[in-house]
Amino acid sequence: MKKLFRSFVRQKELWIISLIALTWVFIFCYIPMAGNIISFFEYYPGDSIFECKFVGLKYFRDLFALPGILKVLRNTLVISSLGLTIGFVTPIIFALLLNELQNRFFKRFIQTISYMPYFVSWVVVASIMFTVLGTDGIINGALTGIGVIDKSIVFLNEKSMFWGILTVANIWKGMGWSAIIYISAITGVDHELYDAGSVDGLGRFGKAWHITLPGIAPTVVLLFILGIGGILNAGFEQQLLLGNALTKDVYEVIDTFVYRYGIQLGRYSFSTAVGLMKSVFGFALVILANKISGKVADMRIF
Amino acid sequence: MMTNKKVVKKSQSTHSFLKQSPGSVIFDIVNITFMCIFAFVMIYPFWNQFIISLNKGSDTVRGGLYFLPRQLTIENYTYVFKRSNIIKGAVISVLRVVVGTGTSLICTGMLAYVVTVRQFLGRKFMRIVYIVTMYFGGGLIPTYLLYMNLGLTETFSVYWIPGLFSAYSMLLIASYMQGISESLPESARIDGASEIKIFYKIMVPLCVPVFAALAVMTAVSHWNSWFDVMIYNSSGKWDTLQVYLRKILLEADQAARLQADQKKYEAMRNLTPTSVRAATTMIVTLPILFVYPFFQKYFVGGITIGAVKG
Repeated sequence: MKKLFRSFVRQKELWIISLIALTWVFIFCYIPMAGNIISFFEYYPGDSIFECKFVGLKYFRDLFALPGILKVLRNTLVISSLGLTIGFVTPIIFALLLNELQNRFFKRFIQTISYMPYFVSWVVVASIMFTVLGTDGIINGALTGIGVIDKSIVFLNEKSMFWGILTVANIWKGMGWSAIIYISAITGVDHELYDAGSVDGLGRFGKAWHITLPGIAPTVVLLFILGIGGILNAGFEQQLLLGNALTKDVYEVIDTFVYRYGIQLGRYSFSTAVGLMKSVFGFALVILANKISGKVADMRIF
Repeated sequence: MMTNKKVVKKSQSTHSFLKQSPGSVIFDIVNITFMCIFAFVMIYPFWNQFIISLNKGSDTVRGGLYFLPRQLTIENYTYVFKRSNIIKGAVISVLRVVVGTGTSLICTGMLAYVVTVRQFLGRKFMRIVYIVTMYFGGGLIPTYLLYMNLGLTETFSVYWIPGLFSAYSMLLIASYMQGISESLPESARIDGASEIKIFYKIMVPLCVPVFAALAVMTAVSHWNSWFDVMIYNSSGKWDTLQVYLRKILLEADQAARLQADQKKYEAMRNLTPTSVRAATTMIVTLPILFVYPFFQKYFVGGITIGAVKG
């Protein structure tokens, strides 16, 4: 106690900074965390939590009674699974191919280009896609030009294509960025291994397969675990921007659902319950994935 | 270390050059072709917007506009600048980037310093309090309700106050600071320098790379964010460029406004929603496209530090 008191006096500047940071984190992080409690109460804005009626698990039951909820769950899982398979493999392949480029300037040029779309917002990407995929856009022009289709398709109104378009958009925007981490992992592979490989008669493909790939395997596994943990995060901005009334059946995911019910319809308690359930499941998934990979591959993230 | 690596690489590539098998040569050709196609796929969509923004709208609808503008004009841009609040949006965007990035770096930097001072008793506690926030969050609705209750909605403050501190950036800066010899701040302390002084006179100059990386990342995310603007400042008083573009993209009254303008002014007959949108998109995108190649080393550095730590 005496030690603490002395520290207050002697390190008062550090304590003042800490106090400011503590106040901020309490208000902006811990209060919203505690705010999740409204999913068990009938909350209306302006009420204090003590005036609200306790309803227990009512909102959680409401959720399962909702007819559209299975569709929302399906969309979430399909979209993030596409991201976790095709979207997960493409950056790895890209990093490996990039590594094989001999010319350093060309290599750097390609890498710089590859993460260009990462730096622009989803609004810009959506605007670009509206143009490119529009009725007089280049895709329709090319397809009618070579005779695959007779008349223009409004791609973004087609339910059957939405998941595909969304996945391509996600890959286009994020692939170069995700590849950075693999590229830096590849640079970290011990170069003596390659020399040893040459001595043992490995060709380029052999080296990529037997040395580079095992070298980046820990990174791959790590990111895959994180991906599994985030399987309920199927993106959010892109759906809100690219989706429309015609494709609602296939684009609505948990996060957009929470936004629609909570902020647009003002059903605060209900949508908080949905969000809370999503985080609980998400957290459980991270722990589970971590356990499994610890057992199977002897790799953990925490 | 660096030069050493380069030497190794060089010897390796000459080595493989000496005994290139036909398969390897074919692979190189295929790979380079693939990369060229890839570069095209990355660049072309931007180029497409660019030429549409510079082409006469009434000509663009005829289709077939692929590589170069057919009827060069800047009327799309003049319309956007004259008939809309885009300049106001740009000012707010820039303000948001500057204020948001500046305050967040100062605050998080100080916090990171506090959690690295070895003799400080509250060091561990502060670290834990912040790390917890990386794993548990409030979620969209409780956060929204909080901002509403605090009166942050419909203000400019909502752009920077919620971003003052960040656990992730704290860890990044702290791990960098721990790599700096402790004798330096210690001797300053013995000489009677205040902690604030040690922070900005000694630590900040030594930590420029990590601050630069974070500055770029924070600035880009401020420039690009639109969802928080849409929900917290829905009245449109503090619209940023991104939200402005989003409105053109998705809201019907924007197209109606263009039509009304076209009825009034003869000179605007050639405009179309697509060409106006393309011009707006370019205005929002060009600053980023010009800036990012110069800052990419900081970006890449930042992500690599994060990967090592996380």
